[in-house]
Amino acid sequence: MDVERLNTLVEDRPEDDIFAVNSAVFTDEAIFAAEMAAIFEGTWIYVGLDSQLPEPHSFFTTYIGRQPVIVMKDGDGQVGCFLNTCRHRGTLLCPYKHGCQKIHVCRYHGWSYNTGGENVFVTAEATGQYAASFTEADHDLVKVPRFESYRGLLFASLNADVPSLSEHLGDAKVFIDLVVDQSPVGKIEYVPGETTYTFNGNWKLQFENGLDFYHFSSTHSSYVDILAERAKRGTIGVLPSEDEPEAQGSFNFHRGHAVNWSILSQSIFSRPLCLEQDALDAVRARVGATRAKWMLRQRNLTIYPNLQIIDINSAQIRTWRPLSAHKTEMTSHCLGIVGESAAARRFRIRGYEDFFNPPGLASSDDNAMYELCQAGYAAEAGPRQGYARGMASRPGAAQKQADELNISPVESAIGVGKAFGAKAFGGETNFFPGYREWKRLLQKESAR
Amino acid sequence: MNATLHVPDGTVGAFARAVASDLILTEAHELDSRNWAAWLALYSVDAKFWMPAWLDENAQSDDPNTQVSLIYHESRLELEERVDRVNSLKSITTMPLPRTIHVIGGIRLLAHSEDRIQASSSANVHVYDPRTSDHHIAAVRYSHTLSRTGDGPWLITCKTISLINDRMPSVVDFYTV
Repeated sequence: MDVERLNTLVEDRPEDDIFAVNSAVFTDEAIFAAEMAAIFEGTWIYVGLDSQLPEPHSFFTTYIGRQPVIVMKDGDGQVGCFLNTCRHRGTLLCPYKHGCQKIHVCRYHGWSYNTGGENVFVTAEATGQYAASFTEADHDLVKVPRFESYRGLLFASLNADVPSLSEHLGDAKVFIDLVVDQSPVGKIEYVPGETTYTFNGNWKLQFENGLDFYHFSSTHSSYVDILAERAKRGTIGVLPSEDEPEAQGSFNFHRGHAVNWSILSQSIFSRPLCLEQDALDAVRARVGATRAKWMLRQRNLTIYPNLQIIDINSAQIRTWRPLSAHKTEMTSHCLGIVGESAAARRFRIRGYEDFFNPPGLASSDDNAMYELCQAGYAAEAGPRQGYARGMASRPGAAQKQADELNISPVESAIGVGKAFGAKAFGGETNFFPGYREWKRLLQKESAR
Repeated sequence: MNATLHVPDGTVGAFARAVASDLILTEAHELDSRNWAAWLALYSVDAKFWMPAWLDENAQSDDPNTQVSLIYHESRLELEERVDRVNSLKSITTMPLPRTIHVIGGIRLLAHSEDRIQASSSANVHVYDPRTSDHHIAAVRYSHTLSRTGDGPWLITCKTISLINDRMPSVVDFYTV
């Protein structure tokens, strides 16, 4: 897509206080196809956790954009990511979600591969009257060009021309650390039992919503009422509190990533991390008071383009696979901290089911809103006014908070906060990095 | 299995089967009619309401303390919260409320005693969303445990829902499964 077209689809002129996203970006199937090539098959994509591969020969399957992949640990503990397709007729090699096996045999004609992705058997090769070129050819599974991990989070890129994962994540790494370092052994895992659901809307509705504090008190008002009733009945565990003024803020990072956070003087519910005072004391001693304070603050992290990690009274890893401009498949996991107490784990699971799980009391309201947005985008009503909150704030407004974490965000914002309050800031400028990266990747793809 | 429970036989078994069948079908009727208070009244105060998640293609979560469930409630109070959310007219998922039909079949009496009945059944739950005109069918298997105290009414003390098509649509709640 040429620059001129991209500039009409995403208008980004901060000098004129203008930021607008054309609804075609959410509804046009041609734009969707371009996104799949340029974004989901063009940059680092989150594929899973290394804790999903607990022993040699463990595997799990997933997708990178439109393409099925299998992630396997070989006999030496080396992890690789391969296209999940037999080299013979292109059959989906492994139809299972996860498991452990030394050899993957294609059901169609029996070609077989080891966990290092090497072809170890071509059925009846000797009698096949193959030409010499076949015998000399590589029959191994096709390796996904780039595959790296950070703190146990696995990312892969179908495009070889990407920087190191570390460079890609940049300062967003600090917010991954704030999750992983809650574990005394520095490990996170999926609590068993995943949830997959779809919504009839574009994937960027999820991208935006995961960074949107503004919607909470309206979209989730029925949930807010329930929380208030529960608080009257009593609470369990230590309730996080702070002396600092209540605020909501965000950091914008390079390459599309962003994070929202909130500072509450008094939380009305506990956290797995502070359910037990002695566990909290141990974390403070290990990571220091400042980082422990940040671990207790609600943080909604987006690693562009397909990962959100939300940490509050429970923690969620949310990832998605766009199916079309109008349909998205979501996979949601309860994120577990390895080494936490059984009570903290139980508290975490109940909190996850309550809020994050789609059959819970909140996520389905988001899904319904995405579908109403997608339906509303059919109206040709001109530029939407949904990227304006925080436009007048200074780009480095949350420098104090950035300094505490020793990070250099591209931009930051901070405003009035109040737990789920209608008068809170709820900035929208934290959507900008995603759309700037969207534009950069689509422009880069068209130049290829 | 509890030693006080025994395999149904004769007229006692027929009575237990009728009780189970009546309560399971009544529950479906109250849900489809949106008689939320009447639905809640079928449950004991300490009722468990559980829809496990799938761990892989074959196995479902069986320990709510260490595994995620799709829905897990340990008291009627938690079901009341769900009903309050629907009644509040603040949840987007109920504006408008999907229409449902629970088509129940294959009710089997598994065990019974004087004060306890266990039964399984299967259901197609038709969910029609007037907002989107989408029609979705939840394919489920139920396990009901019914109990009563003295001559009191039979109440549901445990309902387990096994949802086989677990790639879910955007809205799944107590009335859509």
